[in-house]
Amino acid sequence: MPRILLVEDNEMNRDMLSRRLARRGFVVEMAVDGPEGVAKAAAGGYDLILMDMSLPAIDGWEATRRIRAAETGTPVPIVALTAHAMAGDREKALEAGCNDYDTKPVDLDRLLGKIQALLGGSA
Amino acid sequence: MTDAAGTTPNAWRASGAVTGSQAVAELRHNLRTPVNHIVGYTEMLLEDAPPEDTARRAPLQEILAAAQDVLARISVVLAPTLSQVAAEALTGLYGDLREPQARIVRAVTALQTQSGSALDAAALDDLGKILHAAEQLAPHRPAAEATPGAGVGTGSHDAACRVLVVDDDAANRDILQRRLQRLGHRVFPAESGVRALEMLAAEPFDLVLLDVMMPGMDGFEVLSRIKQDAATRDIPVIVISALDDLSAAVRCIEQGAEDFLSKPFEPVLLKARVGASLEKKRLRDRERAYLRDVDRVLGAAGAVEAGTYQAGSLGDVARRADALGKLARVFDTMATQVRAREQQLHEQVRALRAEIATARRATVGGSTKASEVPTLHTGERLAGRYDILASLGNGGMGAVYRAKDLELGEEVALKTLRHDLVGDPQLIERFKTEIRLARRISHRNVVRTHDLGEWRGTYFLTMEYVEGITVRELIDTRGRLAADAVLAIGSQLADALVVAHSEGVIHRDIKPQNLLLDGQGVLKVMDFGVARLAERGNQLTEAGLVVGTPAYMPPEQLFGEEIDARADLWACGVVLYECLTGRLPFEAATPMALIATVLQDEPTPLADLTSDAPPALTGLVMQLLAKRRDDRVPSAQALRERLGAIA
Repeated sequence: MPRILLVEDNEMNRDMLSRRLARRGFVVEMAVDGPEGVAKAAAGGYDLILMDMSLPAIDGWEATRRIRAAETGTPVPIVALTAHAMAGDREKALEAGCNDYDTKPVDLDRLLGKIQALLGGSA
Repeated sequence: MTDAAGTTPNAWRASGAVTGSQAVAELRHNLRTPVNHIVGYTEMLLEDAPPEDTARRAPLQEILAAAQDVLARISVVLAPTLSQVAAEALTGLYGDLREPQARIVRAVTALQTQSGSALDAAALDDLGKILHAAEQLAPHRPAAEATPGAGVGTGSHDAACRVLVVDDDAANRDILQRRLQRLGHRVFPAESGVRALEMLAAEPFDLVLLDVMMPGMDGFEVLSRIKQDAATRDIPVIVISALDDLSAAVRCIEQGAEDFLSKPFEPVLLKARVGASLEKKRLRDRERAYLRDVDRVLGAAGAVEAGTYQAGSLGDVARRADALGKLARVFDTMATQVRAREQQLHEQVRALRAEIATARRATVGGSTKASEVPTLHTGERLAGRYDILASLGNGGMGAVYRAKDLELGEEVALKTLRHDLVGDPQLIERFKTEIRLARRISHRNVVRTHDLGEWRGTYFLTMEYVEGITVRELIDTRGRLAADAVLAIGSQLADALVVAHSEGVIHRDIKPQNLLLDGQGVLKVMDFGVARLAERGNQLTEAGLVVGTPAYMPPEQLFGEEIDARADLWACGVVLYECLTGRLPFEAATPMALIATVLQDEPTPLADLTSDAPPALTGLVMQLLAKRRDDRVPSAQALRERLGAIA
């Protein structure tokens, strides 16, 4: 069963998205801010990370950079999530080390497609 | 943006303009986040709803549709490309979000109150989250606006509305007041019908909650007076009565009440009905405002027709975020541009008229060169139909007369054609075809061709008679023309060519002699279709038969290549060059030398010869004189646009 780390500060987003993913058979763990996300990612054991970009303390871009910097083995796929929908968001996310990018409101089928594509054989 | 508790911060509720793409992005984020919640929870509820349970699925689908509406509105007003959003646009957006927001709230309320609903506690909890998210979409009015002590509460989807509560019972008034305040409304209590009418006359209200059984003036009477007064007629009234009495309800509805609630009321029902009534009023008000704005756009159209339209006078209509706003903006821009263009043309024509008037004074008493070989005489009648009134001169192809067409009863110009040009029957057939084509061109800048006739071996053409002077005469008497006058000539010439070329007619002989100007400065192009006839005379091997001059012919024509519409554009270039400088771009002592110079030499740059012409105009004329036709302005339409863009 693939394990997903959801880094998201908004309680309702966490509640909603974790339940929707759980319904699709994922094991979802959560982090409520950047530092917690970085710490949990470092502990390992995740097949994929969903990273909200607008987080307090350190934002999603910075958290992603720190996760990438600390990684020693196979990089874990990271999908950036943002409700900003700004021109350039995608490039910025990819530059920070994310593997893909999606916008909120979440189109679940589209997001699942991206997750499956990144999990590939390990799913 | 740190909405850890799942609530949206109040910062975005500021009604001022938002500047900077980051600020716009944050605002977009703050509005999209609740939509994300609404969509997510609703989709989960839909997943759980049995396919056949349409009573549950329909409101959920309505919520999703409303959420899509919200997103669409957000992406228009807060587009990712924007770095600034005006305060009015924001206010408009918040106003626009209320409608889908109300739809979401109504659908959630419908689901919460569904009888026999199979929704479990978790689902009801999620519905509460959807409602909470929906409340984040449109701001409440700032607390400062509320009446001191009225206490604007939270938890309502409605912005604070002014509600008048009419009840003689103090306890009832108190309960209603507190419940409505908790819904976020401003409540004004009245203890009697008379007092209520006084308050309605003095202040605006969004809703009246009216008790039926009251001493003195009862609720029916109050309702009747509210509905009779044009000023209060549109305020929705919800009648509340302890009478669990269907006939009272019917009577109230018949008198124009919006809704009816019986005491003791269900808070949920009160909330839903108040919300629905206010929403209806809001929609009605919006529709009225919309129709008022439509009227203003129509009024502006009338003003344009009357020539009194002032740019920008559509004001706030043009700031609407909807299609009407777009229409108003486009309308305003177009009307302003048309006005500017008219003004500019007016100036140009005035300059042209001044040139013509001066030229006329110079030619008064001058020699209107009598025909050297007149074949017709004044007073003569041609073909039993045309009385020759005067000779207008000789052209390359024959003589021109002013004649009276006895059949049409109007004056025409009559042009005889040289015998040697029309001797070949095949040529005359081709010529007839050309004339037939030319007759299809109907335009104010084209001299209308009437008929081709033959009388005693003489072929003649009749055409519209225009009293005026030719551009040739104008240049000959004035030398160079003012840039504005040249623009007026060029624009009208381009207009004529646009129409002719679209009919497939190439003039082939554009030159100042063929351009007539009437007293009003209106240019008329003559001799469409005639040049084909003259081409025979242009055979270079028959030196003695050269008609006119190669001065206006493009290289491809001199090479004997098949020509296209761009030959006319070259000729336009020569004419405009001549107008601007008083001299031809290519000059030589003999026709053969002239041809050589047209083919080989570059004309003296216009910028060296004129100082007052706008560079855009001189550049354009030089481009028309490009030896390769691909290098010229591509079409008369393009020429017209380029000329129009020169101030």
